[in-house]
Amino acid sequence: MSSSAVSPPVVKAKALYCPHCGGPVQLRGFAHTLSAVCPQCGSILDTSTPLVHVLQEAQARERIEPKVPLGSRGKLDNVEYEVIGFQTRTIVVDGQPYSWDEYLLFNPYRGFAYLSEYQGHWNVIHTLPLIPDMVPRAGKNAVRLEGRTFIHFQRSVAETTYVLGEFPWRAHVGETAQVDDFVSPPLVVSAETTEEEVVWSRGEYRSGADIWKAFGLHGSPPRAVGVYENQPSPYGGNIGSLWRMYLAFLVVMAALMFGFVVTAEYKPVFHQEYVLSPGAKVAPSFVTPVFDVTGHTSSVRIDIRTDLENSWAYFGLSLINDRTGQAFDFGREVSYYHGREDGEDWSEGSPRDSATVPAVPPGRYYLRIEPELNEKQTFSDMRYEIDVRRGLPSWGLFALAAGLLLIPPIIGTIRRGSFEAARWRESDYAPSITLGGSD
Amino acid sequence: MSQPVANCPQCGAPVQFRWSGSVQTVCDFCHSILVRTDVDVTKVGTVADLPPDASPLQIGSEGQFEGKPFTVIGRIIYEYEFGGWNEWHIVFSDSTSGWLADAQLEYDVSFAKTDGPQPPPADQVYRGHAFDIDGRRYEVTSITKAHYKGVQGELPFQYWDKEDVLFADLRTNDGRFGTIDYSENPPLLFFGRAATFDELRLKNLREFEGWR
Amino acid sequence: MRSHPVFLLYGIVVIGLLAFAQYRGFTMSRVNEQKVVPKTVRDNPGAYRSHYGFYPRYIGGK
Repeated sequence: MSSSAVSPPVVKAKALYCPHCGGPVQLRGFAHTLSAVCPQCGSILDTSTPLVHVLQEAQARERIEPKVPLGSRGKLDNVEYEVIGFQTRTIVVDGQPYSWDEYLLFNPYRGFAYLSEYQGHWNVIHTLPLIPDMVPRAGKNAVRLEGRTFIHFQRSVAETTYVLGEFPWRAHVGETAQVDDFVSPPLVVSAETTEEEVVWSRGEYRSGADIWKAFGLHGSPPRAVGVYENQPSPYGGNIGSLWRMYLAFLVVMAALMFGFVVTAEYKPVFHQEYVLSPGAKVAPSFVTPVFDVTGHTSSVRIDIRTDLENSWAYFGLSLINDRTGQAFDFGREVSYYHGREDGEDWSEGSPRDSATVPAVPPGRYYLRIEPELNEKQTFSDMRYEIDVRRGLPSWGLFALAAGLLLIPPIIGTIRRGSFEAARWRESDYAPSITLGGSD
Repeated sequence: MSQPVANCPQCGAPVQFRWSGSVQTVCDFCHSILVRTDVDVTKVGTVADLPPDASPLQIGSEGQFEGKPFTVIGRIIYEYEFGGWNEWHIVFSDSTSGWLADAQLEYDVSFAKTDGPQPPPADQVYRGHAFDIDGRRYEVTSITKAHYKGVQGELPFQYWDKEDVLFADLRTNDGRFGTIDYSENPPLLFFGRAATFDELRLKNLREFEGWR
Repeated sequence: MRSHPVFLLYGIVVIGLLAFAQYRGFTMSRVNEQKVVPKTVRDNPGAYRSHYGFYPRYIGGK
């Protein structure tokens, strides 16, 4: 049985009167509150003793309205918190001041947490009752926690430049701490070092929409500008998985091609040898006998092999369906030159060429051939043979498919690279040149 | 746990000892500090009004730590330059005694360590000082000069009207916790770990106006 | 795989199209011009002028 005079079963919220202006000051943090800002006159009051006195006079600057008002209640990670304190902290980097806001969250059973906001980027932060291990990583410092490696992002000295509400320490404008941030998006581990102690904490990135929803706020949250240190990449840390999927696709396609190659009929359909003499007045055209193209609709390959030497010949070809009259027209040029110069053999072109006609339905076909010789250089007969076969897979299509599938991983990698570069541009370190980052 | 009932030598009110190992308790009614011997209960001092505090725990609160249930039976209140904290004396169902520290609602459970290494003397301990204890690396995270503010309930030793005490807190990379208590010579060691509110499954807590 | 369902779908579609195209014998080559050719071509091949008839002269070579 406890004495009700000392520890009442229900702890009442305290209120006091500001020693400076007499206005009421509500204390939402019960006896935890050691400093509170009078909402009327702005004086920072020391409430650590029953004799409340002014800790710091009202700040000369204009009053800031916190984006999440003091007294707001919200549920984060299933714990209800009340916003009881607010401060603006400022660092100076390359002569430029950068400020962010911190909200002190309170739950009388589970304790304190922090909500930080910078340019529309939010973090929910809890202190850690431990000291993470330091590990060096790629020339930078890093810490290990929860099996993750957090890379050092920034070191700065943060100065409190504005306070509102209550704090469980004697908060005041001008207090400073050295802050080191280590990131592993969407998390950040920070060390705050003051003369008295080092406090480690862990933050998790949240969107403005999440915060607005958690606290039931009206209107829209401030828009996020730029990339924040622990903002998760929308292109996923799993760019690796995108590439792994691509590899899997390649393997499947290769197996597919292998299957087609192995089962390709490559059936001989027609073969004939001819002789063409130079000096024919009119390009002689002729038709072959009718031949059967069997099997399902697939490609037909026509090979032309000649015994050309240092000359060229042109073949105008038509594959004509005897029944329907449908014709596939194409031309092929064969040119072959070779010789010996300064003791070295050279050659250009080839005495053979081929054409593949796509999607030829089965049926009875004949070829119409119109060969033409290079009159100027050919002095002897050209012997040539026409060889028609059925059904070979196309490597060109495979290359096209492989190329098409390459587009998303490449785009993803480029986008991720530029996102990460934007992230690290804000750090103490020069932006990464590679497309890497932590996976 | 035996619950012998005695009468406060100062005011006559019934005084209960929830735990057989309790050496000292505080009378709820007249705030006399009572020390128990084999024979009787003696008043040794008085506790001033305890400062208002916001710990949700109270004497009689219950909880669990690593599967073992405990009851809160006493406390020591400390204050230092930057605030204060409670050391709640907890007793488990197997009669072991431990401490549940509540510092701004961060909870640490620790037990007196008798087989620990020799701690450095008070004037040689510093922040960042690292030790290897039981195969883990402990580092001193804070050195606190605290003054005793009051006691309540049952304690396993005599403790009242103490002078300023120096504490050195140690932490590991996995939440383990240690304290060197320089109030005695040789210094006392307490080791344990941080515990979350949820894992302690606390019951019979105080209520707060406007909350749950 | 789960984290990129769109890519998975895209890959399945592309591979499916590849399989279909290979089966049907499509190629990348520029073979075209299908028209109905009269039966008389068989008897008089010289009369047929294919659309492809204006074949480029190869001016060059060695």
